[in-house]
Amino acid sequence: MRPDERSHSVPGSRRQTAPPEGGADDDALLVVRAAEGDEDAFAVLVQRHAPALIRLATRLLGNRAEAEDAVQDALISAWRRLPEFQRQASFSTWTYRIVTNRCLNVLRARRPVAPLESAGEVPAPEHAVSPARIAEGRDAVRELRDALEDLSAEQRACWVLRELDGQSYEFIADAVGISQEAVRARVFRARRCLTQALGAWR
Amino acid sequence: MTAHTDPPTARSGAADDDERLPCGRLLSQVWEAWEDRADDPHLRTCPHCREALGELDRLESAVRGLRADPADADDPDGSDVARRVMDVVRLELRPGRPLPLGEPGEDLWVMEAVAARSLRAAAETVPGVRAGSCRLRPAPRDGAPGPVEVRLEIHAPHDAALPALAEQVRARVRDAADSALGLPVLAVDIRITDLVDGSADDQEGGAR
Repeated sequence: MRPDERSHSVPGSRRQTAPPEGGADDDALLVVRAAEGDEDAFAVLVQRHAPALIRLATRLLGNRAEAEDAVQDALISAWRRLPEFQRQASFSTWTYRIVTNRCLNVLRARRPVAPLESAGEVPAPEHAVSPARIAEGRDAVRELRDALEDLSAEQRACWVLRELDGQSYEFIADAVGISQEAVRARVFRARRCLTQALGAWR
Repeated sequence: MTAHTDPPTARSGAADDDERLPCGRLLSQVWEAWEDRADDPHLRTCPHCREALGELDRLESAVRGLRADPADADDPDGSDVARRVMDVVRLELRPGRPLPLGEPGEDLWVMEAVAARSLRAAAETVPGVRAGSCRLRPAPRDGAPGPVEVRLEIHAPHDAALPALAEQVRARVRDAADSALGLPVLAVDIRITDLVDGSADDQEGGAR
């Protein structure tokens, strides 16, 4: 694949502003090419960004299979929308937003069946844990997982982006399409619900 | 910092399930101060605030457990998703307009996106150059599409002599259009849209 091969011959230190892997300005070039119909350039972008997007969607949705479907749909939609992409954001931010919105729709659609789904969800794997001292922690994690299912789609998305993904309120507001104040309120409500759920277990 | 000086009533968003602690602070304020790492002696000494922060602390430790959970922590490699995405993308290509190749009346065409890819690759044989937008516009001749005008955007190494570099890129692009594609070119317009840190000299050895 030509764009990829080429990027190997370019040192990673080309710009101080570029993130370590891939490089934002290299992304920008690939985005322009992809928008002009170069599917190989798009393939490089997809390979570069898919893992982070799947990680995000897995956290938002709580399971890998749905997350992969959501990211697949989001990236196909990104290809279709590329000619209108105004490049005011980086490809990474733009696709993050598309995936977040896609996941929000999935969460909204599944609200009524959430209790059934969470009941069928995989239990915490036993192999990864040994000492008894973390048994309590494991129960708390399971409680937390269950409690997450009871949040509204927006609360869950804002909380996950903030708490699991470590994003700023500004970033979340942009990704979800609401004000920073509204994000703060949703994160607060989510924390309130989650601390209460954990408290009930104790 | 302004959030802390706001009177409690101004905080509209969290009001409906917020809680006023016996010390008079709102739970939302206490948690927010903690999150913003505000240095507030009251939070360290007030038993009610400390209890409220203890709840949050229990949540945080469960969150750390969740982050470390193998179900979330293992790294997705994404290649399955990438393959499925590209399978769909290749059914929805945007090849652009057909451009005439060879002599007039020969009825041989190349799609714009395909030609652009070849010309970008040719431009990038110049050390340190990265090619972005590449548009090809046929100049009308006698009512039929004639030779194309190429408009190519490049990122150039910051230490390059730009006129010479542009001339070199132009020559490579013309050569590729002529010998590899057989695409008649009227003009090659080079736009340098960015200067990047890579050195033109560094590239010479490694890229060959």
